[in-house]
Amino acid sequence: MTDTATLAAVFPSASIDNRRDGVWITAIDLDVEAMAREMTRLGFRLSTMTGLAQADGETAVVYHFVIAGHPVHIKTFTHAATLPSITPLVLAASWIEREIHDFFGVQFAGHPNLAPLLRPAELREGFFRDAAEVPLQLTRSQTEQPS
Amino acid sequence: MTYTVPLGPYHPALEEPYKVSVQCGGDTVQTVSVEVGYSFRGIELLAQRTGWVQAVTLLERVCGICSHVHATTFCRAIETVAAIEVPARAVYIRTILCELERMHSHLLWAGLATEYIGFQSLFMEVSNLREGVMDLLESISGNRVHYGMNRIGGVNRDITDTGPIVTQLDAMGEIVKRDVVPALMESRTAMTRMRGVGALTPAQAVEWGVVGPIARASAIATDVRSDLPYLAYSELGFKMVTQPAGDVLARVSVRVLELLESIRLACEALERLPSGPLRAFEGMPNIPPGEATAFTEAPRGEVIYYVASDGGDTPARVHVRTPSFVNIPALEAMTMGQQFGDVALIQASVDPCLSCTDR
Repeated sequence: MTDTATLAAVFPSASIDNRRDGVWITAIDLDVEAMAREMTRLGFRLSTMTGLAQADGETAVVYHFVIAGHPVHIKTFTHAATLPSITPLVLAASWIEREIHDFFGVQFAGHPNLAPLLRPAELREGFFRDAAEVPLQLTRSQTEQPS
Repeated sequence: MTYTVPLGPYHPALEEPYKVSVQCGGDTVQTVSVEVGYSFRGIELLAQRTGWVQAVTLLERVCGICSHVHATTFCRAIETVAAIEVPARAVYIRTILCELERMHSHLLWAGLATEYIGFQSLFMEVSNLREGVMDLLESISGNRVHYGMNRIGGVNRDITDTGPIVTQLDAMGEIVKRDVVPALMESRTAMTRMRGVGALTPAQAVEWGVVGPIARASAIATDVRSDLPYLAYSELGFKMVTQPAGDVLARVSVRVLELLESIRLACEALERLPSGPLRAFEGMPNIPPGEATAFTEAPRGEVIYYVASDGGDTPARVHVRTPSFVNIPALEAMTMGQQFGDVALIQASVDPCLSCTDR
């Protein structure tokens, strides 16, 4: 139930790529809640999620799933810096969504508690994104806006 | 009467800073909330501003215990992006270090666990064993903690005289079998203090997505060494350890039995160490644009690295997911309904690494 044909049926509009480190699926407009439901039904475990800052201000989010030694990486993109939260469906997503919120400012709509997880109080949401363009010390306060 | 007790962020029961807020009704735990982030260093961000070679040294410092695993996983992700084939001898040396590091980590944890249950004599025995492992690591790498063995495409140092290491590991295995296994898995002290405490059912283990010894102690047969065999594990015939009960005793048992398996794997790798070069190339690596992940079984469970390159001198993105990041939240399920006095032991049974979690 985890071969490429099965995944192609689950993600009909996505591009699927078999690589050395697993199957990579990219879908620009992905219903992540339906995806999470389907991956859970197929028996996948959510290992983690990776946030990737995009030049247009949006964030690519990669969901890394594993089943019996078969990693599947599903990449999608935020719209207006927002994605639906999958935490109500997959408990293990809770901390990683909070981390991506801290680092990249992504709003995970429907997350039960999007409180800062790792972000120091003096840094603002999305400070990884700021720090990619300006020295880190400029992001240390809300009053010191990056130029 | 309901009351809330904060454990931490600085507390004698915690090895590293984090906060466990425990709400109790009488002596029974009703709810638990965990706060982390007290050791945040921004290592992922720093790695994106550091040259590829220096980043290996930086990422080895994610953790002071499983440092080799982090450098290994980072290198493996880069080697996937750049399609670098690591020589067989280097693969085996990486494997040997991984297993010695697992022994060092499990013994350190066993020492802490025995101290928590008041088993001071065993604490000394286990600490002495750990010291022996650290001596071996120092004799191989020149370092006791951050070994600096990894480089992109291979390893920095060779293991030239394998015989004495095998002899010492065999002797340690005998001590583990003679003293540690009966004391931690069969003695009345261990049974009374740990059996039935802090149980995590298999269903809860799946729900919380826990990994490593925590999952295996709840009957979930998952280990990257067998699920996604890497380094030399498929050639060495790795045998997974699981336990059915899911309690603190089961977590102890998994780690103690894994000590014996680590000794076997390290000895086997030392005896079968192939000849050949230590690295795929000399000089600076050229990392082309691309992205890749690497999965490794650290002492505490699955580690994942995502690495992206834009063809430049530094990584474009490094993301590190450590096992403690997914194991610590499950404390909520393990402590609910337990006695307040057991919370310190239950959290210790997770072997939480905050240096890893916070990065």
